[in-house]
Amino acid sequence: MSASTTSHRLYKALFITLLLVFALVYLAPLYVMLTTSFKGIEEIRNGNILALPTTLNGSAWSKAWSSACTGGDCYGLAPYFWNSMRIVLPAVFISTVIGALNGYVLSQWRFTGSNFLFGALLFGCFIPFQVILLPMAKLLAWLGLANTVPGLVLVHVIYGVAFTTLFFRNYYVGIPTELVRAARLDGAGFFAIFRHVFLPLSAPIIVVSIIWQFTQIWNDFLFGVVYSGPGTQPITVALNNLVNTTMGGKEYNVDMAAAVIAALPTLVVYLVAGKYFVRGLTAGAVKG
Amino acid sequence: MGSIKIQQLTKSFGDTEVLKGIDLDIKDGEFLILVGPSGCGKSTLMNSIAGLEDVSSGDILIDGDNVTDLSPKERDIAMVFQSYALYPTMSVSRNISFGLEMRKVPKAEIAKTVADVSQLLQIEHLLDRKPSALSGGQRQRVAMGRALARNPRVFLFDEPLSNLDAKLRVEMRTEIKKLHKRLGTTIVYVTHDQVEAMTLADRIAVMKDGQVQQFGTPYEIYNNPANRFVADFMGSPPMNFIECVVLDDKLVIESQGEKFELHINHGERLKQAGVETVILGIRPEMITEPKPHVEGALVHSIPMQVDVTEPMGPDTIAFGQWNGTEIQARLSPEAGVEAQATGHVKVQVDTSKAVFFDAFSGARLDA
Amino acid sequence: MFDYLEKQLPKLIMAPTAIVMLVCMYGFIGWTAVLSFTKSRMLPQWEFVGWAQYERLFANPRWHVALDNLLVFTLLFIIIALLLGLMLAILLDRNIRNDGALRTIYLYPMAVSFIVTGTAWKWILNPGLGIEKMVRDLGFTDFEFRWLVEPDMAIYTIVIAAVWQSSGFVMAMFLAGLRGVDDSLIKAAQMDGASTFRTYWHIILPVMQPVFFGSVVILSHIAIKSFDLVQSLTGGGPGYASDLPATFMYTHAFSRAQMGLGAASAMVMLAGVMAIIVPYLYSELRGKKS
Repeated sequence: MSASTTSHRLYKALFITLLLVFALVYLAPLYVMLTTSFKGIEEIRNGNILALPTTLNGSAWSKAWSSACTGGDCYGLAPYFWNSMRIVLPAVFISTVIGALNGYVLSQWRFTGSNFLFGALLFGCFIPFQVILLPMAKLLAWLGLANTVPGLVLVHVIYGVAFTTLFFRNYYVGIPTELVRAARLDGAGFFAIFRHVFLPLSAPIIVVSIIWQFTQIWNDFLFGVVYSGPGTQPITVALNNLVNTTMGGKEYNVDMAAAVIAALPTLVVYLVAGKYFVRGLTAGAVKG
Repeated sequence: MGSIKIQQLTKSFGDTEVLKGIDLDIKDGEFLILVGPSGCGKSTLMNSIAGLEDVSSGDILIDGDNVTDLSPKERDIAMVFQSYALYPTMSVSRNISFGLEMRKVPKAEIAKTVADVSQLLQIEHLLDRKPSALSGGQRQRVAMGRALARNPRVFLFDEPLSNLDAKLRVEMRTEIKKLHKRLGTTIVYVTHDQVEAMTLADRIAVMKDGQVQQFGTPYEIYNNPANRFVADFMGSPPMNFIECVVLDDKLVIESQGEKFELHINHGERLKQAGVETVILGIRPEMITEPKPHVEGALVHSIPMQVDVTEPMGPDTIAFGQWNGTEIQARLSPEAGVEAQATGHVKVQVDTSKAVFFDAFSGARLDA
Repeated sequence: MFDYLEKQLPKLIMAPTAIVMLVCMYGFIGWTAVLSFTKSRMLPQWEFVGWAQYERLFANPRWHVALDNLLVFTLLFIIIALLLGLMLAILLDRNIRNDGALRTIYLYPMAVSFIVTGTAWKWILNPGLGIEKMVRDLGFTDFEFRWLVEPDMAIYTIVIAAVWQSSGFVMAMFLAGLRGVDDSLIKAAQMDGASTFRTYWHIILPVMQPVFFGSVVILSHIAIKSFDLVQSLTGGGPGYASDLPATFMYTHAFSRAQMGLGAASAMVMLAGVMAIIVPYLYSELRGKKS
């Protein structure tokens, strides 16, 4: 074996070790959350944060789910988990449908000003939401939707459409316009072409859009904390309240179980469809 | 039935005018070719006929009906695209039937049409496949099948062969011609390939800069070009253009330091017009090795220095210089070998089919 | 008639989005802008006071802390996340063929909400029971790690948590970029005798420039908008030591009934984002045309 291949192998081993060490570092918070959530309070106080729990104690989980106090109420995270679902599912569906149609128009049925429209919409992906918080609160109040689930759905749809439109537009722009022309000559109209030609092609980008919107809206805190009322808070707000509620001693195991519960849906989505998740992330930066 | 009449058609994108008043009269059942360099407006004209692009002014009539403002689906036209534009998620058979489905044709009739068309184009074994599983040639056939199934008044072909390899292109060319003969439906066919234009067309419209330069049969276009552009564009190897001094009623050719006089048709007219110099347009096949049985006042013998030869098989193209311009002569393979070896050849020049252009405008002087 | 409708359909489809966008983005920005020139407190009031709210804003020491924090946080966050992400991407690219599992591990924090991240790191960094205790248990009884409760250091805990969450994203962007580099480019460099290091430094990294810019824009955008992470990790504390403009705005507009001041701070944030985004979008959209 020559010297260069030896050193090459040495480097390679070093690099791989480095990668594995980093993997452990990245995994550590999840590990700590999980192990802590199964420990008892005594064990937490006396033991090491990295130690495995001596017994698997599920009581923190049931408390986090159904009886922990989040501010005033003590119903656990469960009601807020379902609140989040009630907000996320319609918002994801509606914003994806609108985004798909918008993207279809902006890529295949351009009209004077449509490029400008797209540019203006693109800019909307980047505005800091702080700048629309106050007037949006006014609008929701005026519509009678303040502190309601439909109100939150509306807000998420409005500010999510910029992203979904971007996804679909950039995806459809790669489909040759001749396809639309061929279909028009075949006698198909705007919707028929969308349904028969474009929709069957769209599975990957629909998945990207759904995953992106799902994680964005599920993980949202800003809109949740500003536009929700006591009974309509999403899970992120409830988690934050739970952690900051200090009645009696701090129960770190319950906090961690609650954090894992709040993270679970998006983590599951990520593990199941990670490829599409990455595509959504990079689509925000690398535009076509 | 499918005659097309195009009247004073113009089309502008912003400030640029891509069609500048097109007039064409296409007879029912005719095979019309729109040919020209890229950017000449031929594709825009075709899209306007299809209704895929709005026109700025002028009218398009199909069978006498003004269809200028009708949507594509109401014009009863089918089109074969350069990229084929097959629906990627549909099977071949659904690709063919989609247009009929959209037009609410009864299912049984659709099935019969698909069967007929696929048999005609020999793609029956491909019907269940997706376009992505087809070769280029097979895609081409499916694209034609999709157009055929509709049985429209007019077929439009937009450079349908340009994505095929050379051999397949020639095969499909013949097949399209046969198909046209069999169906007798009007075809408007866009290409930038002058060979395709010559071989396929009943009539050719040569376009440049949004205008029709000449509209005629392949024979007229080739032998009697309206101007230097048309003469240059049609024919391969291209026509020779030699700037010549007019001496009395003859033209002067200088080769290897010597001067020769060329007798020409219409010499008297040039003389009377008082033209001093003229561009002589003469096709390479009229500059050949000496052929004993060709004689007459318009046949000359002129030496030519040979710089390079390009053997094509049936004949050999020899490159030389007359009047300081590069010219191409078409020699027999045997003469070509000798010319290559010796570096010069004595060629026979027949000016009976020569044409003459104005040195500045490129307009025909003798027509 | 039907034909006319069919022709207008694309515009009709876009109309609701266009109108809502006009109102809820640009209209609302205008509304906030106007508000920032009024003396609104609890409720909007249309009594104009010129630049007074901005003057109050920039006279407010808490706002200056927020701005300083933003600067420190943004710079550190971007630099560390970029370096870490780029390093991971390069190590992954050349050494491991089947990198699915590792990539999944580096990127999973991105799927988690900032609130969860903040909650987790708040526990890990807990002065009494977290890392500090762990190291002390190892025998280093004098070890101190209480950034979370030290006014000067709290902002760095936010940097740590944010880097943990977002560096995987940078890795993904660079890895996609690296995998997209034309192989013949690398082969040509190697034929020319370039070392691996030189190949990366002179050939591959310059090609990565768009990825680099893209990452910087996205990261700075995340940084300026950061609200949830601060809220859950430090709550802006101790005191207001780890405030960022986003938390400042929220506190003043919603908890302290200082609507005009909140609006002014939001407008400053918008200006900051625009300064980065507008040139980026401009070059992106222009670059695609040519």
